[in-house]
Amino acid sequence: MTYSALAWKNLVRRPVRTALTAGGVALAVAVAVSLGGFNLGYRQAIAGSIEQLGFQVMVMAKGCPYEAATLMLKGGSGLLYLPEEAHAEIRTDPDIEAITPIFIGIAEKQGYSLDGAPAASAYTILTGVEPDSFRQMKPWLQLKTGAGYAGGRWFAPDATNEVVMGYEVAEYEQRKVGDVFYATIVPNGKVEPELHAFTVVGVLERTGAQDDGTVFLPLRTAQEIFGRAGELTIIGIKLKEFNGIRMREFEGRWLKIPEVQVVSLEQVKGALVSLVGTAQTMVAAVAVIAVLVAIIGVINSVLTSVHERTGEIGVLKAVGAGRLQIFRLVWLETLLTSLAGAVPGSLLAAGGARLTDAVLRHVLNIGVTQPLVRITPGLLGATILGAVVLGLLAGLWPAGRAAGLRPVEAIRSGE
Amino acid sequence: MDKEILISGRNLRRHYRRGSETVKALDGVDVDVRAGESVCVLGPSGSGKTTLVNLLSALDAPTAGELTIGGRRVDGLSERELVAVRRGLLGYVFQQFHLIPTLTVAENVALPLLFLERRPAPGEIARVLEAVGLADRARHLPKELSGGQMQRVAIGRALAVKPRVLIADEPTGNLDSHTGEAIFDLFQKTVREDGVALVLTTHNLVMAARCDRTLTLADGRIVS
Repeated sequence: MTYSALAWKNLVRRPVRTALTAGGVALAVAVAVSLGGFNLGYRQAIAGSIEQLGFQVMVMAKGCPYEAATLMLKGGSGLLYLPEEAHAEIRTDPDIEAITPIFIGIAEKQGYSLDGAPAASAYTILTGVEPDSFRQMKPWLQLKTGAGYAGGRWFAPDATNEVVMGYEVAEYEQRKVGDVFYATIVPNGKVEPELHAFTVVGVLERTGAQDDGTVFLPLRTAQEIFGRAGELTIIGIKLKEFNGIRMREFEGRWLKIPEVQVVSLEQVKGALVSLVGTAQTMVAAVAVIAVLVAIIGVINSVLTSVHERTGEIGVLKAVGAGRLQIFRLVWLETLLTSLAGAVPGSLLAAGGARLTDAVLRHVLNIGVTQPLVRITPGLLGATILGAVVLGLLAGLWPAGRAAGLRPVEAIRSGE
Repeated sequence: MDKEILISGRNLRRHYRRGSETVKALDGVDVDVRAGESVCVLGPSGSGKTTLVNLLSALDAPTAGELTIGGRRVDGLSERELVAVRRGLLGYVFQQFHLIPTLTVAENVALPLLFLERRPAPGEIARVLEAVGLADRARHLPKELSGGQMQRVAIGRALAVKPRVLIADEPTGNLDSHTGEAIFDLFQKTVREDGVALVLTTHNLVMAARCDRTLTLADGRIVS
């Protein structure tokens, strides 16, 4: 017989009450773990996605900084364009290690659902790039090989009907090398859409970044079919030396071009993090409330249990239990209740991380492709430890009350 | 009369406040309990029997008077200090058994050892159960036992710490006469074989006649 065994037997005496109390703790812990995982994962996801862009600085048309922040990560409507001359001017900057012009356009895919209605997600991002400078910026891009992908390559710089598809968009569209990809585009200044057919000449391996959902085509072709010859969406730049001073110097040199803004991806990262900061604070407040409610539940449950067992506690004292021993026993009951909630709650959060990730991705729509929720063993351990500490604090009052009972009065009140 | 005095009370008083009224549950009682003797406390309900045994078992403290248990003055001690007096020296048996319902017979008997921070030696609990005639009920829960068996468990629990004084408050009050007699025989055997002092309260005059001494209480005083 040990104190733990005695405490556990006391808890299972009222299984429904114990289960409900532990369930409250489990829910609070699940919320706390999910929030912690989100805090951890979101920053890493932003950093990872930005890292995958390959460049540190973007030059783009002046506009909303948040739009600028998400533009390169998930595309978007209402794109602004800058003149291609800017690229010619900026590439002469001596601090530049690599530079690539990018044109982004939104096309309607050819595709309908079974009942003939237009498909729900009928748009795709077409990105016009210079193959050489773009691949120099992203040397990790690999073309898929194997059955259906043999002979995959990048398009010729002057090709007019060739595309390279990202991993996910190719999977979604069920396209392989040699297949035809159709896109409907309304060129700038026109009303009627035009249908274009492209041959898929290559499919990229999965990158885990925004490139997976992108269809690449030659820059000139993209500009032409969208009716925006001589215009760019973004100029991606990698500096020889990247730090705050170099960035400000670079920015100062090129702000002279009208209608152009220079945005560091560090700024983008900061903007995206702050964008979700408010939501995170609100979720944290909910988590704190859930934890407080769970603690109150634990206190209430153990107090009720102590009240019900007043006579029994008197008997324990009569057979030799001291104040500290009664305190220890009731405290252990609180600890076990907290653990019985914290462990399943943590496992629930870990098991449901993908669901949480999908919900957050749907609600926030921030365009990062890496996991938004990262639940690590350290996070689980810290949360369980936190729940145990809070449980122990919650047990102080009931345990102190039980320990202070006088045996004769306790036994009498229990009869 | 040269046996060691284990409990000695002089002019013991225990008064309670009930609203504006003072209830004199005990009002000047002198009592000695010696090793190896059985003392029966008789008296009608409300005469102060339970109050007296609560004081003698250090479960309660007297309002006035001198009380010495195991050679230590206990009047005026705090609850924390009274626990130390109770431990190992006194065993208490209740009228209503007061077993812990979630623990088996063996676990109930071993419970006081937990509070002494001592693990039972191999076979120790089995020997206690053997002594109270419950060797075959070790793994049973209290709800699976008869009233007499439950009281035997309670006696086993009191004996587990090898007390020098066994105090029982109407231990046969909830039992039929046949079972009550068997329980009393068990008490007598303990006194005889282990040299334990026994203080018990009862309404049963036959049982009282079998004790070494009888104290009769009325209105908080010893009348004979």
